Amino acid sequence: MGIINFAPKILDPIPGGKYVVNAIDYVVNWARANSIWPLTYGTSCCAIEMMSSSMARYDIARFGSEVFRASPRQADLFILAGTITRRMAPAIQMLWEQMPGPKYVLAMGACTISGGPFVYDNYSVVRGAQNILPVDVFVPGCPPRPEALFHGLLTLREKILKETCRNPWHEGDTQDLSQLDRYREAAKAWAELEKIKDEEMAEARAKFKEENPDYKSSFKPVRVTKEAFPEIAREHEISLAEKSSKGLSKADMFKALKNKFASVTITGVTAETPEALAEAETAAVAALTADSVLEVRLNAEDYLAAVEFVKNDPAFKMDYLIDVTAIDYPDHFELITMLKSLEKKHQLFLCVPLAKDESIAAEKRATSILAKVPSVSHLYAAAEIKEREVYDMFGIKFEGHQDMRRIFLDPEFEGFPLRKDFTNPNMIKRPV
Amino acid sequence: MSMTQLPPGFKITRETDSEEFFINMGPQHPSTHGALRLALRMDGETIVEVVPHFGYIHRGLEKQGESMTYLQYIPMTDRQDYLTAIQNNLGVVLAYEKGMNIGVPEKAEYIRVMLSELGRIASHLVFFGCFGGDLGGQTCLLFGFKEREMVHDILEEVTGSRLTTNFFRPGGSRFDVPENFIPRVKAFLDHLEGAMKDYERFLSKNVIALERSVGIGILSKEDAIAFGCSGPVLRASGVDFDVRRANPYSIYDQLDFEVPIAHNGDCHDRYNVRIAEIHESMKILRQCIEKFPKEGPYRSKEKPVKLNPGRYYSEIETAKGLYGTYVVAASGDKPYRIHTRGPSFPHIGVLNKMCQGGKISDLVVVMATLDPVIPEIDR
Repeated sequence: MGIINFAPKILDPIPGGKYVVNAIDYVVNWARANSIWPLTYGTSCCAIEMMSSSMARYDIARFGSEVFRASPRQADLFILAGTITRRMAPAIQMLWEQMPGPKYVLAMGACTISGGPFVYDNYSVVRGAQNILPVDVFVPGCPPRPEALFHGLLTLREKILKETCRNPWHEGDTQDLSQLDRYREAAKAWAELEKIKDEEMAEARAKFKEENPDYKSSFKPVRVTKEAFPEIAREHEISLAEKSSKGLSKADMFKALKNKFASVTITGVTAETPEALAEAETAAVAALTADSVLEVRLNAEDYLAAVEFVKNDPAFKMDYLIDVTAIDYPDHFELITMLKSLEKKHQLFLCVPLAKDESIAAEKRATSILAKVPSVSHLYAAAEIKEREVYDMFGIKFEGHQDMRRIFLDPEFEGFPLRKDFTNPNMIKRPV
Repeated sequence: MSMTQLPPGFKITRETDSEEFFINMGPQHPSTHGALRLALRMDGETIVEVVPHFGYIHRGLEKQGESMTYLQYIPMTDRQDYLTAIQNNLGVVLAYEKGMNIGVPEKAEYIRVMLSELGRIASHLVFFGCFGGDLGGQTCLLFGFKEREMVHDILEEVTGSRLTTNFFRPGGSRFDVPENFIPRVKAFLDHLEGAMKDYERFLSKNVIALERSVGIGILSKEDAIAFGCSGPVLRASGVDFDVRRANPYSIYDQLDFEVPIAHNGDCHDRYNVRIAEIHESMKILRQCIEKFPKEGPYRSKEKPVKLNPGRYYSEIETAKGLYGTYVVAASGDKPYRIHTRGPSFPHIGVLNKMCQGGKISDLVVVMATLDPVIPEIDR
């Protein structure tokens, strides 16, 4: 590009030379605008629409952009298809730096414009591609239709056609970007507007209350009994209840576990005397409907033995681990291990309350591990990544796990997001 | 973390003078199907170990869900497995219905099953395209997406959106289906019947495709169960498990269909199972067209916004496998905790087992037949 950039300096002073420069501009821009090669890059939903637009129905080749390049060194256009996360942002910047100039960036979809659906209460999404890269064209939509992407491409084409070698494109121009979070400013302005509106409306609201003292908001109470519709004509005889009764019934499962482990109870059932408790538990198990799952609660000491028992016991034969997850309550965590038997078709959820470690100082609690529990990854290979996820999100350590690292977040990330008291400077609270 | 550091996670220890080296694949790579990063430990062209690194598209959906109302969370499920967004809607809505004690009218059940099966066909057609495309046959991509667009035309007419449908609601669906829905589905099925013959002639007996996929990436039955695989990946390894059969939801217990199974567990079997599933979906759709009720409501008259306090779990069979939703409801119209169990997560967990000792070019084929969707893993 060097020669073309020097052409105006030499040719413009010569009489008639500017027409030559214009002609060079015309030819160069015509070539550039009609063969924009995009980079094969996509993170989420928008990538599928980008693929659709290059396939038979929409045919991006009509606009000269069918050559999707897998290497950034051969690409002209960076279509940012999909949400940009804080972890992905350095990789995106690295890709952009590898692209040869002139290079263009097209931000596709709501996520790359403002964060889209992931604006509020989010600690990991970059709110808008303009915060990390210079963007040429924004294409709104969630995700944008292929036609919208084409409109974006044509807009970019118009932009390219207006370029001239008198004002060449310098990489330095785009290097110093304002890192301003525009969204935050807009949110602040919006909050102020809301405040003004509230003040203006206060009088009218007071008046309304005076005139309608009995007014209630229209929320309906929650249903207690199941709504019934006319029975669907059943041609086949297999019903849900029969299907699920192939394996152990819920009562049998509970009985067997209760005999083996004394600490086993049903979640949410409490009573004063042991006899009353046993009665209430039996009633609770009997009340479970065919499409619900038996959830038993047991102490952390029994957890590993219980999982081993239900895996190896020939009556249970729980060979399949659906998931391991946790819930954060103010005073304890609850670890939930979801198990299933592929052969016998019954399911069992084990809930293990884990007390939070009280010995850790208040200011360090947010970033330190508060509970420990034995790992079941040697029994179920599937537990390996699931337990890493629980560790990453809640800060519960699994003892005996071979590879206890964070799985979704950076190793340097501070705090555990799914705890209720988690705070992060990047989070914007959802207005109520 | 800097990208130049040696990635953690390798388990095999070797002597220091071995000639092994590392290759970083992703997070931007055409055949990792999204923002997934694989750290490969290589001995020449042979893979010694694969370590997947997740989180490049972790969007914190579960944290966000805790500050959204139950109904606001439904569109969030579209953005998990966007190839079959309509089925994810069904998964979360089924969990809500258990907590809302709300019934579903017959017509709504048929709409649910039909749209889910259309979604399954669309997803498997993308698989067909990507499988062919990753083998080097770009024509497959063009073919697969051609019929997929027809599914999306139908979905767009019914739901108003091509990809992110946001259609099902507790007690039914958002709108009634338009009048020409049934004729359109019928016409599409007639067309697909012919098109599938072409597709199968194109790839199923293709010598190059067979060479690249038969005996490649074998997953044993025991491993498939232990690693928690589901869907076509599990069934290709010889396990007869389909949620639609084992624990039927909606009206799947009233429909007559086969659960296709293969026994070798290699890439070609996973391909065959998916192609057979397209045929089964077509069978289900034809039955639904026969039985589709002309009259009746498409949703319950009640529009509750709250769940009774408690814990609710639902599981469905999406195109990828077992999709579970676990909702912990407290008082109020927001969930205390909402968790999704996506089928793709365990599939990437088993990748190391399948690729060890294989060639690097086979990794691409194995990835294609696992058919993962990364945002569903990272959430």
